Amino acid sequence: MTRRLCALVGAAALILTLAPSGALAQGDIPRAFDGNPDLNGVWQVIGTAHWDLQDHPAGPGLPDMGAIGAIPPGQGVVVGNTIPYRPEALEQKQGNFENRFTDDPEIKCFMPGVPRATYLPYPFRIIQGDKKIMFIYGFSDANRTVHMDKENPEPAPIDSYMGRSHGSWDGESLVVDVAGFNGESWFDRAGNFASNTLHVVERYTPINANALMYEATIEDPAVFTEPWTIRMPLYRRLEANAQVLEFKCVEYSEDLLYGHLRREPTRPAPEDR
Amino acid sequence: MVFRRPSLALVAGALFLSPLAADAADYHHVHITSSDATEAVRWYSRHLDCQPLSDRDDSVDCQGVQVTFDSQPSLGSSQRTGIDRLSFSYADLTAKMGEIESVGVGGAGVRLQRFPDGSTLQDQPGLYKHGFIFDPWGTRIELVEDSDRIGFHSIHLSATDPAATLAWYEEHFGGEAAQLRGQIDGLRFGDIWLFALRHEDGVPAATTGRAIDHIAFELEDVDRDSVQLAQAGVSFTQQPAVPEGGRTGARRGFVAAPDNVSVAVVEAGFAGVARSMDDVVDITTQQRDYTVPRTPWGEPDFQGVWTGDAAHGIPMERPRDLTDTEVLTPEQAAARRERGTLGSIWGYESEWRDTTLGYVKSAPSQQVAMVIDPPDGRIPDFTPEAQARLANRVDTSGVRRLAAGPEDLSPWVRCITRTLIPTPQVYNNGMQIVQGPGYVAVQREMIHETRVIPTEPKPHVGESITSWLGDARGHWDGDTLVVEIKNLNGRVPFRGTTDALTLTERYTRTGPDTLQYQFTIDDPEAFTRPWTGMFTYVRDETQYELVEYACHEGNYGMPNILTGARAREQEEGR
Repeated sequence: MTRRLCALVGAAALILTLAPSGALAQGDIPRAFDGNPDLNGVWQVIGTAHWDLQDHPAGPGLPDMGAIGAIPPGQGVVVGNTIPYRPEALEQKQGNFENRFTDDPEIKCFMPGVPRATYLPYPFRIIQGDKKIMFIYGFSDANRTVHMDKENPEPAPIDSYMGRSHGSWDGESLVVDVAGFNGESWFDRAGNFASNTLHVVERYTPINANALMYEATIEDPAVFTEPWTIRMPLYRRLEANAQVLEFKCVEYSEDLLYGHLRREPTRPAPEDR
Repeated sequence: MVFRRPSLALVAGALFLSPLAADAADYHHVHITSSDATEAVRWYSRHLDCQPLSDRDDSVDCQGVQVTFDSQPSLGSSQRTGIDRLSFSYADLTAKMGEIESVGVGGAGVRLQRFPDGSTLQDQPGLYKHGFIFDPWGTRIELVEDSDRIGFHSIHLSATDPAATLAWYEEHFGGEAAQLRGQIDGLRFGDIWLFALRHEDGVPAATTGRAIDHIAFELEDVDRDSVQLAQAGVSFTQQPAVPEGGRTGARRGFVAAPDNVSVAVVEAGFAGVARSMDDVVDITTQQRDYTVPRTPWGEPDFQGVWTGDAAHGIPMERPRDLTDTEVLTPEQAAARRERGTLGSIWGYESEWRDTTLGYVKSAPSQQVAMVIDPPDGRIPDFTPEAQARLANRVDTSGVRRLAAGPEDLSPWVRCITRTLIPTPQVYNNGMQIVQGPGYVAVQREMIHETRVIPTEPKPHVGESITSWLGDARGHWDGDTLVVEIKNLNGRVPFRGTTDALTLTERYTRTGPDTLQYQFTIDDPEAFTRPWTGMFTYVRDETQYELVEYACHEGNYGMPNILTGARAREQEEGR
């Protein structure tokens, strides 16, 4: 009971901070068997963070895609709106954007990494048990296991796209410490990126029964001069049949990746582009 | 103290070093963990010119040094342990390496360790030419050209303080301190060198269970010498005793040497330990009473990392010549596995395969075939329509037909998905299960694809939503998880199945570390009746964790196959 009281106070405080315009708690926050918030369910971000983490105006896409491919305008999710790049890293970010139609890991159907997997425009499921919490994302078969039962931080056995995640509860927040990245991932379609020294600390905090606040603090001394934070809500998918459907995108990326190697080439070789 | 004949024991087998010169302290043997002593004896005879011992089936004589192998699971390569490698010397190393290279990876299990520039041999000025290979069980072997000693040449320890390590061996086991060509400090035991190299990366891993398990020294008087060793501060990890299965009444003990090295001390006449395959338990066919544990919220708990490695090699259908066989003998099961790995056409050397004998906790499964229904173990007949369809099927292996583009290759090669049923392969047979209330997630190591299974009643998604893994719905039948999978897109090649397939999986925990997996294939467009197969997963969280298999992201095979196809077409003037 005490725990629940705390939870409500915590949620109310959050709402005051984040949504001062009068949002109200929609009933109790669901509880897991152990009294911690129950995050089980299908969640999704609404917004344009997958286009660009920062404030951005509307912009053109590939001409052949018409309005479908255009970049919609959006308000940023970076706290303070500034990403503290080192000068040479900022140049690389700009280069990434120039080359996004061939280099963006998303266009190649690569696993998106963390935190990008969270705010891609697809739902994801959280399966919260006693020893592990699993995130199953709706893009490129990506998933990750949050170890709740291992000493933190246990070194990653090998660098990977999705990193190695260790979780713990901090009051009402699930805190996930993620490292062991391979440095191949971007953060968005604007070319924001990190290296293999990336370290992400995520916080998932219930706002009410159907929304979580997601916060990720991003640290990478090779790319940024200081840590920075993104913050956005996650919304529960309320459809009775909500389900993360399989989206194996490999075959839709193959022409882009291998079209120049077809018997009848569909695009020039990378060196001729 | 006087010791006779050092012996090195390798885990895949034990290497007994027994220089025949009988004076001073000697090795007795090197002990290698080979997982299959018989195969190891063959390998060392064929590739390193050792001679099988006439009275032993688990040892060879390598130019006066006894190398003994045991059939135990190996925990991996000798590299980065306290005993890094063994060296063999050849008068013409270039010719020897050429011979080994020409053997290739075609089932011989020789792995070359190339230098950074791609070469297999390098000159060491003032010393000698050398190169590196691995045996199939992970023993690192250096080949050198030292005309002063041909054959078994040296044992290389890896030490945090090489001088102190050599001093320790000299103090307790004798040997003669010397320098090889004025360059490398070592101890000589007869013609054999013991070197200690500096371990560059932290602390060497323990040798026990690794490819070179231990080296052995013979004690002249076990009782007297053991007391002396103990008084000198040497710690016994096992007091001298006649080991279970010992071939003679000679005793053996183990001491802890520096750098996490295990050293055996043996009595004269020690002739190893006879092991039969029966000692290695196939836990997958041992049935017993078992109460399935519960999750904190009250559902049967299947969570953990499981592997199908023990089941690798079980054929789908019962072989015609095993009609009346209930289970294979352990020897038959081991032989079947070795045929599937050592002699495999797969371009993977055995050290890289997860299912090489001895790499996994459980012995190879003795199960005869996967199919359990029909009871004859044979897949039912195709329908006439299916027969006609399959007669026209297109080969997607990319081997017999040049691929015009990615679509001509299989979903396996394209890294889209792997097998419809997770039938064990040479690698990546892991399966992780994570549960939350009302949901079970089954993650397959292959591709890292994950099936989310609701266990509360929910209708399937609309029938037009087809996919590679299909739409899964589960329920608990007692303590068995039953999963019905529909909406498969029919594009995963599996025994002629179509998109009309309903795949039913049944997961049952049969013991603390065993999980029986049953699959039922019900496809009226393909078969005249449904059929069911089964194999058993083993839980092995001490050794096994799923690491990310980024198959598509690292698919070098695809551009290589397509580039090769284009080159071939150009050659052929197409």
